[in-house]
Amino acid sequence: MWLELVLILIIFLGILILGNNRLGSMIQLFALQSLLLSITPLLIQPGLHAGIITIVTILLKVVFMPTLLFWAIRHVSMRWEVYPLIGYGKTLILCGLLMAIAFLISSKLDLPDKSTSYLLVPSAFSIVIIGFLLLVSRFKAITQVIGYLVMENGIFLFALLLLEKTPLLVEIGILLDIFVGALVMGIVVNNINQEFGSASTINLTNLRD
Amino acid sequence: MGIQILLHLTVMLVLAPLLFGIIGKTKALFAGRWGAPLFQPYYDIIKFFKKGNVYSTTTTWIFQVAPLVYLATILVSSLLIPFGGLKAPVYFWGDFILFIYISGLSRYFIIIGALDTGSSFEGMGASREATFSCLAEIVLALDFIILAILSKQLILSEMVGGTILSSWPLFGPVLLLVGLSYFLVLLVESARIPIDDPTTHLELTMIHEVMFLDHSGWDLACVSYASMMKFFVLGSLFVNILIPFHNLSAILQTVVFGVGMIGLAIIVGIVESCIARLRLNRIPELIIGAFVLALVGLLIILIKGV
Repeated sequence: MWLELVLILIIFLGILILGNNRLGSMIQLFALQSLLLSITPLLIQPGLHAGIITIVTILLKVVFMPTLLFWAIRHVSMRWEVYPLIGYGKTLILCGLLMAIAFLISSKLDLPDKSTSYLLVPSAFSIVIIGFLLLVSRFKAITQVIGYLVMENGIFLFALLLLEKTPLLVEIGILLDIFVGALVMGIVVNNINQEFGSASTINLTNLRD
Repeated sequence: MGIQILLHLTVMLVLAPLLFGIIGKTKALFAGRWGAPLFQPYYDIIKFFKKGNVYSTTTTWIFQVAPLVYLATILVSSLLIPFGGLKAPVYFWGDFILFIYISGLSRYFIIIGALDTGSSFEGMGASREATFSCLAEIVLALDFIILAILSKQLILSEMVGGTILSSWPLFGPVLLLVGLSYFLVLLVESARIPIDDPTTHLELTMIHEVMFLDHSGWDLACVSYASMMKFFVLGSLFVNILIPFHNLSAILQTVVFGVGMIGLAIIVGIVESCIARLRLNRIPELIIGAFVLALVGLLIILIKGV
């Protein structure tokens, strides 16, 4: 029951991120989503293992990454995603359609472990799809980074199915990988901005010497 | 039956303006003012009833009938919804469709009433109202479908009645989604702040309010009274969905219902104090968001099965 409520709130926050055009509040919503996400291991299987994952997730995804992203938008001094590739309304409709497909597919999946929650797999898919839509429909590099991180949140949810079977070291290694990835992207965004005077990825499609 | 209907209508007629008073008071307190008295909406309505009507020469009988039809449709739709301990006096199989269509009828009449004045200003408001409410209607219907599937009933007062209590432990997430999307519909239908600013009379902020600019006296009283009662009706549906109190005694139910309604008014007041009105072209996105939320709820039911 509580796990399902948290999962629904995570999906809700994902939809809010998708419909938002302010970078600052997108990052805040992402931090909130990650906070809810970090509680889920404790709800599935309370214990030391889950506790450590929760603490590491909170440190990385709720504290470090939003700080990094806020630093990036301050540095690049941009606030809005003005002209997305696909409009906000259309993205939301697409999100609804893709989520329907995700729910149908996950109800057909034959998973070995059915004990956790019927909502875990569909919501993991939905979050991945939301992150993917953010990645493909926006031009600003920061929004794409947020999209990538939201997508990773979905993958994290999916990995919770294997919570007790994965060694702790591997999971923390994965989280660190993502942290390094976000760090590199933050630096890349900064360099795009220095090179072109704006952090829009349209500039990256042109070839030049 | 007759007494029940009278009691139902009296409760709504007496209490509906109070909610607007509470919303106004909450907003005033948030802004650091003392604000208008709690009973100001009552004084306003009484004042309007004392004035005479003024009709423009370009208007026809439609303009005069529209406020009455608006008032009547709201009164009828209120009979389908339980108010706490008071059971819904009128119910039959499939009456939730009647509820949707009655609100459509009331909207139709205020729209043609506004168009009848021939003012381009009111025509603009009518066009906006038609656009946004036809989008919101889909979400409302989807919410009703979910409730109908959950309760296996097609009677509105049963859909939000006793069976919702047993749905909460199993389908809490779904009901949460329905509640969220219904709350957005409530804001659209009753023209509250993220959608429309009911307090201003400025050209660009008006959707609902602009259609009543030419009404005066009795007509204005009918229209503003009906708007308050519309909020009461939609709000009581919201309270019925989100607060499952149906196994209590009749008096306790009424108390919980009353507290829920006051809470709703305070929440709406807080939302209005914290959020600025959305730009007009962002409103459909908000409604689509509500639609997606309801859709997720429906999907969860479909994969889980009732």
